[in-house]
Formats: sequence, C-alpha cells, structure tokens
Amino acid sequence: MNKVWQIAGREFVATVFTKGFMIGLLIVPVLGALLALVVPRLFGDRSPTVEGEIAVVDPTGAVLPHVRDAIASRGSPVAVTEIVERARAGGADEMVLDVLGATTRLTLVERPGSADVEQEKGWLNEPTPAAPHLALVVVHANAVEPAPGTSNLGSYDLYVPSRQDNRVEVAVQGVMRDAIIEARVDARDLNREEVTRIMTVPRVRSTTVGADGERDTVFGVNIIIPAAFMGLLIMGVMFAGQGMLTTTVEEKSNRVMEVLLSAVSPMQLMGGKLLGHMGISLLAMSLYLGLGLVALASFSLFGLLDLKLIAYLLIFYLIAFFTIGSLMMAVGSAVNDMREAQQLMMPLMFTMMVPWILWWPIVQNPSSTLALVVSFVPPVNSFGMLLRVASSTPPPAWQVWLSIGLGVVGVFGALWVAAKVFRVGILMFGKPPDLRTLIRWLRAA
Amino acid sequence: MSTASAAIDLSGVTKTFGSLTAVDRLDLTIPRGALYGFIGPNGAGKTTAIRMIMSILLPDSGELRVLGHASALEAKDRIGYLPEERGLYRKMKVAPYLTFIARLKGAPERGLRDRVYAAIERIGLKGVEGKRCEELSKGMSQKIQILAATIHEPDLLILDEPFSGLDPVSTRLLKDLILTEHRRGATVLFSTHVMPQAEELCDHVVMIHRGRKMLDDPVSSILRPHDSRALTFELLDPKADVRAVAALPEIAHCVRVESRYEAALRDGVDAARAMQAVLAAVPVARIELKRRSLEDVFVAIVAGAEGERAPAAGDKAAA
Repeated sequence: MNKVWQIAGREFVATVFTKGFMIGLLIVPVLGALLALVVPRLFGDRSPTVEGEIAVVDPTGAVLPHVRDAIASRGSPVAVTEIVERARAGGADEMVLDVLGATTRLTLVERPGSADVEQEKGWLNEPTPAAPHLALVVVHANAVEPAPGTSNLGSYDLYVPSRQDNRVEVAVQGVMRDAIIEARVDARDLNREEVTRIMTVPRVRSTTVGADGERDTVFGVNIIIPAAFMGLLIMGVMFAGQGMLTTTVEEKSNRVMEVLLSAVSPMQLMGGKLLGHMGISLLAMSLYLGLGLVALASFSLFGLLDLKLIAYLLIFYLIAFFTIGSLMMAVGSAVNDMREAQQLMMPLMFTMMVPWILWWPIVQNPSSTLALVVSFVPPVNSFGMLLRVASSTPPPAWQVWLSIGLGVVGVFGALWVAAKVFRVGILMFGKPPDLRTLIRWLRAA
Repeated sequence: MSTASAAIDLSGVTKTFGSLTAVDRLDLTIPRGALYGFIGPNGAGKTTAIRMIMSILLPDSGELRVLGHASALEAKDRIGYLPEERGLYRKMKVAPYLTFIARLKGAPERGLRDRVYAAIERIGLKGVEGKRCEELSKGMSQKIQILAATIHEPDLLILDEPFSGLDPVSTRLLKDLILTEHRRGATVLFSTHVMPQAEELCDHVVMIHRGRKMLDDPVSSILRPHDSRALTFELLDPKADVRAVAALPEIAHCVRVESRYEAALRDGVDAARAMQAVLAAVPVARIELKRRSLEDVFVAIVAGAEGERAPAAGDKAAA
C-alpha cells in the first residue's frame, strides 16, 4: 500500500505544484466573472432606433388626437418614468420590450376618416420615400363606442410592408392600445388617473417560511443549486479524468512506464494514479465549493443550502470518478498519443454530455420518467440523482440508495475493465487498439 | 547446481503473441552472484524473456522463480531493472526523481537524500540534482536511468541493452558500474547484441534465437582456443614482407584478415615451433593461437539456424 501512496503522492505533487494547475484552477472562476460582467453589457446594448411614418385612418375621429399624444409621449423622457412605473405595477414584460427593443421615433401621417383603405395600402410600398413608411392603421368604427344594439367594442386593422422590423409592430400596437383606451375613457367621461389606480395591483415578493424561520424567497434557487452541484460534479470528474488520461499517455510516450512497472505492479500503479488524481480533483472541488459557500454566507443566503447535499456530492463524485476516471485512464494506457486518445474518448465524452443535455428537463420535473431513468443508469446516474436530490422535489430515500448501489456496481465493472485494459495496454506500442483488440485484451489479461 | 539457490530459475517458459512464439520453452538457471550475458539477434525474444522474469509479462506456460520467489512481484524491491525502452519524468528534477524511484524500490528513508546525492556525484553528474530531467543530455539521461536501477543496491540487477546509445566514456562508466555491482555481490544479467561487451564482462553467456535457447555456457569454455592449427599475428612494421611467413615450411598458407594475418599450419607441425619460425621471419607486435570470438559463435549459430530453420531447443553451438 505504501507504494500506491508513493505513486499517488507523486501524481498529486507533480500536478498541483505547477503553473498549469493554478491557471486551470483560476480559469473557471475568472471565466465565470467575465461572463457575469460582459454578457449583461452585451444584452444592454440598445437596438437602433426604429424611425419612420405611420398612417392612421380614423373614422371615429376620437382616436387620432390620442395617437398624436401617445407618439409624442413615447419620444419624451417622461416615457422612461412611465416604464418604470409600469414595471413596479407588474408590467415588467412590457417594460423589457420597451427598453430593449421598441425604441422608436414615429411620425404620424393623419388620413381622413373616409379615405379609401385599398388606395392607402399602396402608400406602404411607395418607392424611395423620404422617410420609411412603417405601417397603416385603420381604426374600426366601433373602436370607441359600440355599434347601436351591440355591446362589443372594435379595435383596428394594421397593415405593414414586407420585410418589416418586428419592433415596429410592437411599437405601433403599444401606441394604438394607449390611444384607444384614452379615447374610450374620454368618451365615457371617466377619470383616467382613477382608472389607472383601479387597474394597478403591484407584484409582491414571497416570504419563504422554513423550520429555521422566515426569509425572503430567492427566485431561481431551486434551479441554481442543482445546476451548481452538477457543474461541480462534472468539473471534478473531468478534471481528474483528463489528468489521468494525460499523465498515462505521457508516461507511455516518455517510456517511463516500464521503469515504474519494475517497482510496482500494474494494479498498484493504477491505484496510485487513481488516488492521486482523486486528491487533485477533490482539492479543486473543495476550493470551488468553499468559494460558493463564502459567497452564500456573504449574501446571508447560507441557509438556502441543505448541507446534506455536500455529503451527496462527495458520494456521487466518488462513484462518477471511479467509473469514468478509471475508463479514461484505460484509454490513456491503450494509446500512444493524445490524438489517438481523442478517438477512443468519444464514447466517454458523449456520456459526459448527457448531464449537460438533460439537466434542465430533470430540474424542471425531477419526478419525470426521464429523470428516473437517468438516475439509475450508470455511469450517468450520479449526475441524474444529484440533480434530483438537489432539486425542489427530492426523490424518496430508497431511490437514492438504489442509485448509489447501482453506481457502486458500475464502479466495480468499470474498474475491472480498466484494470484489464491498463495491464495490457501500458506495454503496447504501435497501432492503437480497435474494439475487437480491446475485447481480446479483456479476455487475455 | 542447486536451483534452490539460483537467483533466476526458468523452466519451460513460453510466451506467445498471437501466432508469434516470442519465447519457446526456455530453461535457464542463473546462480546467485553470477554475471550473465543474455545475447541474441534483434527480435530473438530477449526483452520478452526479461519482462517475464520481471513479472511485467506473464508466461503462457512454464515455471519461473526469482530470488527464491514464485514471482518477481514478491521481490521487486531486491531487483534493479533497466528496461530497453527507458525514460524519465521529463518535468521532474533529477534528485526528486531518483528519490521517488528509490522509495518505490523500498530503499530505507534514513539518509536517502545523502545517498542520492552521493550516487549522482559518483557517476560524475554533480550539480544536476536540481535540474529537470528534460534539461539533461541523452548521455546524462542514460546515466540517471542506470542510477535509478541501482540506487537501492539490489540483489539482482537486470539490464536490457544497457549499452545502446552510449558514447565510449559512458560505456566505460557503465561497465565499471556493472562490475562494481557484481563485486558488491549482486547477480547481474544484461542483454546485448554487442558481442565484445558480453565477451569482456560476462562469466557466462546465454544465447537465444527465435525464442529458443541456443547456447548456455561459461565464456571461458566458449572462447577456449578451438583451432590450434592456425596462428594469428600483427606485424610490428606494417611494411614488412609477409611473404616470408607464407614461404615457411611450417605454414600452409597465410592470409590477411583486416589488420591481422592468419597463418594455417601444415599437418603435423607443432604450433610452438611454427610460432618461433614466424617470429624469426618477420617483426611481430602480437602473435597467438587463433581463438574464436563470441561474435564468431553468434554468427555461426544464427547462420546455422537460418540454414536449418528449425533448430532443436537447447542445442549447443557447433563451431
């Protein structure tokens, strides 16, 4: 066992005390911080102003003045205040549209109420106009007052030229909605401010009531925590797996492998490498987890985290690490260089992509059939079950233990295959093995 | 010889790779404290046999004992091994690398650092302790690799083609190191296809060809004069007229072989008398009865095997 620890210690020291490791360790949080800083700025880049003319045919004569006002108000600074007010009142979606996409500078072209609509449509496609002709609006005759004998109110017809910017339609609809409501309020001699107050119900923030007390609900926590834990798990496994693959290939190509085998058995060598790289990835995971916990504590959100999740993370990490990591090391032992390794790595890489592809549907519905299947099929069961355990609807305990049991069976299976391939592969040079050769190695070793 | 006291004892060991039989029913007993040469042409099966001795490969059949154990795995700490395909951890520094290997070989921790530094100094590489292995020249790397095989003072030292790629100075250093280890009491087995080296160093030579043992004899018996009917000599003055030798009544004919001459004796002529006659005829720097070299034996066996295609296992060389 002492020799296994010697190998593990060398792997740990040779990896951890290098610039590459430090850079690799820092690059994830640095990239995260960069994304957090840069992406919002990219989204914050306002779209170019939509500028042009809209023609309005208003047979009622009551809407047009309000269209004029609505267009004028949308171009003024007051509009921003209104947007904020609407957001506070719960109209956040509309606010986002206004702020991000519907910045417009419209010019009203007033048409007589009796204008021929078919003729007006031609205006939309006039060649080389001075300003772009964006839309033609024809207000319904019953848009403000219902027709005699009916109670239904009409709206308007909207015509646009081909290849129209969608934001124009959004802007025109906003203008027309405001203008028609204003006309209807005027026609009924209502108090506009009173109506607005009646129609406004502010959105409230919920309070989470737990056994340990109450706190403001943190929106999205049921998504963020499972995603963070799965990310940690994938990172830990990939970190160790890549390391084992690389060092094994390196030891083969450096021809140092046989020197080692004169001192230790292949199983001692494999065991030492597994332990060493497990230590390396546990160190990296601990650092990231520690940072996450510090961040939660600094925002007084530490209570959001169920500490049992850390124990589950460790258990599922060990299962995933020994399953996928040992197979990656077996790949490293069977090839001569990293280029050859990439070909044999394809099935393992697909396996690692499964959690990325399926995490969202699993988090959305942790009790679905998909989630159930994924959490019981090695080698992806560790990822699936961890997502479910961290979700808002954790699975029953028997499912967790069954998944752990199946994972352990998978670990022994993977270690058996890896040990056989490793024993033969480390001394094989030349053509990389195909599937048939690998099967022969499994039988022969 | 009792095989119980043997350092290495192989009995009917066979290893195949697919349709190729790399080692075929190999019997070999190497007594403790011996210095054995393992010779054979490229692809003869030397490395495979050595890897089986080291338990890096497992034999398909046959019995194998190393230092009294059924497997070298049980005695790895007492074995020093220099593989044919050898290397170093490129990014590791020299002293930590040797310390790491020594620890793997079970070397005692007490005084290990001092022993490593002393060993580095002994092979003339003082000052490289803190250098990364990738910074070393090829010759320096080879010396460090050899040191890694001996740093734990093994009872059995197995060297697979240790002289390949070494310059004359390093070759001499390695020869001294092998002899030092032998004098210390270690059993030494080294493979080579450079016959003069085996001839110079070994007590005993084992030759395999196509996986089969063709020769297993003490060097002294292999190299004993086998042809007392011929003399070999070198002239003191290269311009001397050698025809005087050919004209001697004791000599049947005389031919030049590289820088030497070989003179065949007539039937019934005493070799000592013929030698005196040659000395009287021309100034001679060196004269002796013609001996066969290990290279002659090697070539004869390989050529014979090529001719027969299927030599019997255990056949001795018919020189």
